[in-house]
Order: sequence, then structure tokens, then C-alpha cells
Amino acid sequence: MPGKFCVNLTRSKDDCDRATVGFVVANAALGSDKDTLVFLSTEGVRLAEHGYADDIHEAGFAPLKELMTNFLAAGGKIYVCSPCFKKRGLSETNLIPGTTIVGGAKLVEFLSDGAPCVSF
Amino acid sequence: MSNRTRMQTPNSLSAPQVYWDAGEMGCGELILQLKVRFQNLGPSEVFQLRADDGGAIEDIPAWCGMTGNTLLHQQHPNYWIQKKG
Repeated sequence: MPGKFCVNLTRSKDDCDRATVGFVVANAALGSDKDTLVFLSTEGVRLAEHGYADDIHEAGFAPLKELMTNFLAAGGKIYVCSPCFKKRGLSETNLIPGTTIVGGAKLVEFLSDGAPCVSF
Repeated sequence: MSNRTRMQTPNSLSAPQVYWDAGEMGCGELILQLKVRFQNLGPSEVFQLRADDGGAIEDIPAWCGMTGNTLLHQQHPNYWIQKKG
């Protein structure tokens, strides 16, 4: 069953529970053969910085770094909202490999054929 | 987990070539690991999964439906799945 699936993730250490569950759901979509995108926006963009997620381990779930690493290794895509990233003064030189800084048009392009999107 | 007793395959099914005890792993973590393990299977091979997480009861049939693999039998926490041909 081909198709796409998008997770819009807006949290990082301000809500580790939501940040973690966002990637758990993304992994479920990817594991179900969906072309899966995690769009990191607002506070979520901090997860794209190398090392930031290393100490996030929500009870009852795998460590967030492991979830993100497995997601990327299995072919998942991570887009990082450019203005959200810039306004926080984060550095593009410190991005996790496999993540891509994008503007809103790339998200719209991904969703334009009716792909579902859930938000955390 | 590896020391736990493996449930015997029902007589009506072919013996599974691969067995995986996922323990308490569930939700997206389980599904992604399952996908990765299925990539190493040949067409029509039978896989026996043990997944203790309660969500597996609904998730595994749904996953099989989405991926085209066949759920031959389920007796939670055990699932016998045949990879699509």
C-alpha cells in the first residue's frame, strides 16, 4: 500500500513526551511502507541540532536519539523549518546528517497530493 | 527475552523460517524493526513474531494489511506472518 505520511513535530525539550511520540508514530508510518516525512517546526527544530536529543529519554519509550537514528537509517526524511531555525539562532553547520533545511513550499509540495499529516 | 519458551507453530501452518521475540517493544519501534527484519526474508517465507505489547493485537493485522504480507495466524503474543511473494 504505497502512500505518504507526514508528522509535524513542534516540540523538543519543552515537551519530551510529545517529541518522542512524534518520532514513534513516524517510525510506525515508515515501517508500514509509507514515504514518511517529519517536519520539524517551531521548538521542534532544536532536535535537528547535533547532540541536542542525546539526553532525551521519555519513560516507556526508546531514547529519542535511537528513534531518530533508526528513522533516518530506514529512509525517513526530516525537514527543518528554515525561519523557525534561524529565529532561534541555531547553526546549520551543526545539523544532524540527513536533515534538510526547507521553506514552507517543500512541506506544501509533499502534502499537495493529499498526504495525511498529524501534529505533535 | 531469548530464554523464554517459543510457542509451537500450529500444525496447520508451515514451520516458520525465522523467529523474533520483540519482548515489550511496541508501536513505531516494533513496526520499524519488523520492516527491517522482513527486508532480509525471501518471498513467501514465514516469520514468527512474539510481541507482548498490547497494541500489537491491532497493529500487526493493520501492518500486514498495509504492507501486503499475510497474517497466517495470531494468538497473542504470537503472530505467524508470511512475506508477500
